[in-house]
Amino acid sequence: MSNRNSVEFIQKKALAMRRDCIEMGYAAGSHGAHFGPAMSCIEVVAGIFFSAMNHNPQDPFMPTRDRFVLSKGHACLAYYSALVEAGYFPRDLMRTFKGDNSFLSGHPSCHVKHGLEVASGSLGNGFAVACGMAKAAKVKGEGHYVYCVLGDGECDEGLIWEAAMNAVKNNLDNLIAVVDRNSFQLAGRTHEIMNLNLEAIWKAFGWEVRVVEDGNDVLSVITVLNEMRSATSGKPHLIIAKTVKGKGVSFMENNLAWHAAPMGKDKYEQAVADLAALEIEGN
Amino acid sequence: MSKRWLTWLRLRLKGIEMNEISMETLQEWSKLGHRSTIGETLLLLGKENSNVYVTTADLTPTARLTNFLKAFPDRLFDVGIAEQNLIDFTAGLAKEGLLPFAVGLAAFVPMRCAEQMRINMGYMNLNAKVIGIEAGVRFGPLGNTHFAMDDIAVARAIPNMTVISPSDPRSIYKAVFAAAEYVGPVYMRLTGAPGFPILYPDDFDFQIGKAIECRSGRDVAIISTGSVLAEAIGAADILRSKGISARVVDMHTIKPLDTEMLDRVFAENRLVLTVEEHSIIGGLGGAVAEYKAGFDRSPKQLICGLGDSFRKVGSYEFQLQDNGLTASQLADLVVTNLS
Ligand SMILES: Cc1ncc(C[n+]2csc(CCOP(=O)(O)OP(=O)(O)O)c2C)c(N)n1
Repeated sequence: MSNRNSVEFIQKKALAMRRDCIEMGYAAGSHGAHFGPAMSCIEVVAGIFFSAMNHNPQDPFMPTRDRFVLSKGHACLAYYSALVEAGYFPRDLMRTFKGDNSFLSGHPSCHVKHGLEVASGSLGNGFAVACGMAKAAKVKGEGHYVYCVLGDGECDEGLIWEAAMNAVKNNLDNLIAVVDRNSFQLAGRTHEIMNLNLEAIWKAFGWEVRVVEDGNDVLSVITVLNEMRSATSGKPHLIIAKTVKGKGVSFMENNLAWHAAPMGKDKYEQAVADLAALEIEGN
Repeated sequence: MSKRWLTWLRLRLKGIEMNEISMETLQEWSKLGHRSTIGETLLLLGKENSNVYVTTADLTPTARLTNFLKAFPDRLFDVGIAEQNLIDFTAGLAKEGLLPFAVGLAAFVPMRCAEQMRINMGYMNLNAKVIGIEAGVRFGPLGNTHFAMDDIAVARAIPNMTVISPSDPRSIYKAVFAAAEYVGPVYMRLTGAPGFPILYPDDFDFQIGKAIECRSGRDVAIISTGSVLAEAIGAADILRSKGISARVVDMHTIKPLDTEMLDRVFAENRLVLTVEEHSIIGGLGGAVAEYKAGFDRSPKQLICGLGDSFRKVGSYEFQLQDNGLTASQLADLVVTNLS
């Protein structure tokens, strides 16, 4: 997979991923889908898969591949759409999302051959596992990186901070984590549920922290992702990407009702139209 | 004096009044599923007892606690997405005399906070209640991180812990009021998808530790816990049409087990089926088998539940079918084993 694609290429991928998310979520029918959590981190995930990360969909077990862990596993649509766009599994499998016997469950399972590295969805755990994977790379003298995306609400979990300490102790500068700072969680606004100054706290824990003011802007995201990769501070890296929950679909943006919901035909059509308008804007 | 009257009197004296729930309310709860039932029940309990507090981990809308929060903004504490902290915080409230109900997803509570429940609810024997919503595999499409197959096993192994799994809207309501009245740690697992049927249309006496015989029968005893009781009753209906007489028992309290009921079943029935939306290891089936192990002679037991493997992804109907928990599958199993 070619690394360091152009900004325009990644923007196109991001748009395609948004479309895939809508298709998959709509196909899930009454089961619904976590649309908002996926839409907010599309640029982050696209930036990781199509710019930062060294990987090869034709060789998913390649030992030197960078690893990706979606710790906020409920945003699996973003993950699956990146895998489809990268070519890890055929597009027509998307409609099996959440279906009987499908491997595309509502939270990622572990299927490395399809690019799914770690089962996640129990918040807090993916990040802690990612730290172990980064340590293993160090122990084995391997040069690959581990990327991890977590939620801002997820940072309520004590496990996150146990892992954060451990990452610093182990000098895991091969770990690049991104907090999808969409400022919402399940029950409300993040600052109302647990008001955390994430930047200050992560810094205090000893991480190298960068804030991306517009985490839905591809150029900003990939710039910081790639800077982090070449940083030599010896510290683990944390990016706080300020994003919009539900980004790209008018009725979903900053609307908690779309944290997880089934999508009817009307909404589906409106979402498709919104994304088409974005494409025209982009051209 | 009737038992029901005594219960009523006890509740009155304690200042908790358990009103009879109207059929319309029950129908609404049945339509919306166990989550609305628990949210609204806690609201009713909160109105009756000003010492009732609710704690949750970012689940206020999920457990339909929105109305409770509106009515009692100072009596609902959201600790954020932090299940271990949820239990310890709740234990602390209980330690100082409040009556807290912690509400979490059964996939994470009690598994994620098993030690907190062991030490700070069980060992300290505190009067704290934990409600696990979406127990079993109703979250079928969400994958194995969101299945609660092992929560009974975990909670049941904790000394002092009472474990309850009510079967329908009215029994959830009754179980919550009973748990509030009972002094000691309780884990209550809730199952029941939107549309889960009302199995108890009339008022009845719900006592912790006292199983309910829903159907009498000679040949087989189907002992069930949770909303899958509807399938057990369905199986009994199918069996009746085939001339097989099935006793159906709602073992809503898994700990302490109603051994008096089991003594009767072991003496009177030729075959025992335990039915639960939980792993075949460590749940109701395990509890019954453990008790049965002390008998010189007792009927054969078949343990019906979720197989001991991570489950496939799929709809709730698919899950029940895949685990042999539908009425017709249960009935077939009985027929095969009786012939
Ligand atoms: C351990 C655990 N507890 C609770 C949940 C239920 N849950 C799923 S998503 C969510 C909110 C996550 O918020 P955040 O991390 O901010 O991600 P966002 O959806 O805003 O992107 C919760 C509580 C879970 N998946 N795991």
